[in-house]
Amino acid sequence: MSIRVEHLTHIYNKGLAYETKAVDDVGFTVEDGEFIGIIGHTGSGKSTLIQHLNGILKPESGRIFVGDVEITAKNIKMNQIRKRVGLVFQYPEYQLFEATVRSDVAFGPGNLGLPEDEIEDRVREALRLVGLDFSTYADRSPFELSGGQKRRVAIAGVIAMRPEVLILDEPTAGLDPKAHGDILRMVRSVRDRTSGIVILVSHNMSDVAEMADRVFVMDRGRLVRAAAPAEVFAEADFLRSIGLDVPPATRMANTLMGEGFAPDRTILTLGEMADFLAGRLGGRA
Amino acid sequence: MIRDITLGQYYPEYSRIHKLDPRLKIIVTLVYIVSLFLIEDFAGYAIALVSMGAVIALSKVPLRFMLRGLKPIILIIVFTFTLNMLMTKGTILWEWGFFRITKEGLYNAIFMAARLIFLIVGSSVLTLTTKPIKLTDGIESLLKPFRRFGLPAHELAMMMTIALRFIPTLLEETDKIMKAQQARGADFETGGLLRRAKALVPLLVPLFVGAFRIAQDLAMAMEARCYRGGEGRTKLNMLKFRRRDALAIGFTALYLSGIVAERILL
Ligand SMILES: Nc1ncnc2c1ncn2[C@@H]1O[C@H](COP(=O)(O)OP(=O)(O)OP(=O)(O)O)[C@@H](O)[C@H]1O
Ligand SMILES: [Mg+2]
Repeated sequence: MSIRVEHLTHIYNKGLAYETKAVDDVGFTVEDGEFIGIIGHTGSGKSTLIQHLNGILKPESGRIFVGDVEITAKNIKMNQIRKRVGLVFQYPEYQLFEATVRSDVAFGPGNLGLPEDEIEDRVREALRLVGLDFSTYADRSPFELSGGQKRRVAIAGVIAMRPEVLILDEPTAGLDPKAHGDILRMVRSVRDRTSGIVILVSHNMSDVAEMADRVFVMDRGRLVRAAAPAEVFAEADFLRSIGLDVPPATRMANTLMGEGFAPDRTILTLGEMADFLAGRLGGRA
Repeated sequence: MIRDITLGQYYPEYSRIHKLDPRLKIIVTLVYIVSLFLIEDFAGYAIALVSMGAVIALSKVPLRFMLRGLKPIILIIVFTFTLNMLMTKGTILWEWGFFRITKEGLYNAIFMAARLIFLIVGSSVLTLTTKPIKLTDGIESLLKPFRRFGLPAHELAMMMTIALRFIPTLLEETDKIMKAQQARGADFETGGLLRRAKALVPLLVPLFVGAFRIAQDLAMAMEARCYRGGEGRTKLNMLKFRRRDALAIGFTALYLSGIVAERILL
């Protein structure tokens, strides 16, 4: 399955004095199995863009195809779209409402009208994927968990719908380093299991550089770059001019380049940097 | 979406009307409302219409926004109009079965509908041209004399300010939670009454939890900054009476005498 977006424009508060063009003539295609990272300064329209991909927001103009279904067409069955495209919002822990973790995660699959035992299976699987032990957490109230645990429950609630496309809006914002790593590992394992499309919105350049097949760069509502991480992060000055930056390893490589040590390719991750330095210092690469 | 709902609907603009002292605007609005009940015929309405038209023009708020306040009460207007038209006895203009429209009925209907419309649009001018914060400042200041009788003027005003301040926040929160639950397949739009009521649970629980969280945070933040109620508290933006306020009083007096003179003389 692929996603195709054509000339998408979204305007908030249209017609009022304070209308905002949050997404401005954006177009792209995502192929089956691709991992896309979306970066952009605060307010650049990332959240607005991705909320169109499962029909939560309606565009001012433009068209979106998920597989061969045009989801911007009139009279489209929304539940069919939401089953295929799962969206985890920014700070999803505030959407929890059920008495137990188990029933909260079951909310999505329940809305799909699945039989009880199938729902049970999915809840177990989703909790395992987000790293929560079923027997410990299933019957606890989601409100007495820690922030990071709540977030995992909320993400499990979307994963349990088994979407073919998983979109996550800053899933690691405000988490400690361990929870941060756990969430990213979880994203990876979901992707390995479903081999579907994953779209990750993030302010963490290293995460995006490391995980994404392609990086989309947003600036004031426009999609200004869509390319492989090595290509996008090679333009450090451009990124800085729109309020972004390159990953720390790349920044270090650029500094080294100024000192006359030129890496032969764009370095994105700490691993690549270690290899490069080891090679230069005469160790084993 | 839900953000389109405007409560305490302020229209940002820098007009003479916007800059008037809020206390004065509240009083003038009250005077205007009372004056509407003094009016007895359409000549009086003509005065009210011209005056209000002038104020609206001065305020630079598009007429569209002024009239938007009428939307929620359109049913009431239509209802009173029909009732007045059909229920008043007098010279018959038109008759069908036991429906009859009389000359007096038609007159009454138009008269009452006009009064309602003037009332709503008149008070819209106040809320559209005054920031909620200024409005509560004005109310607090006007209620101050009643403190002697034990009225907690400052506390009331503070409560109103906070409530007004958090309406948009709560609407935003509602919008967000609604979207998040929709992404999980929740359906708020179809089904019978019972189904819809049940569908609200995933929305209301997080909303209440969120509201309490916000209230707690706010209380803590206020205490951390040593808020301890109204006693001896000074204001950052003092309400000041200026020349334009005196002018406005003049115009209001002129308007009111016009209405009274019209009633007595014509
Ligand atoms: N519900 C809304 N109503 C009105 N304007 C909005 C709404 N949501 C976002 N905006 C505006 O649209 C623009 C894009 O917002 P969006 O949330 O898509 O940005 P973002 O890239 O996700 O930012 P962040 O990194 O802070 O999450 C901003 O200018 C914002 O103020
Ligand atoms: Mg966002």
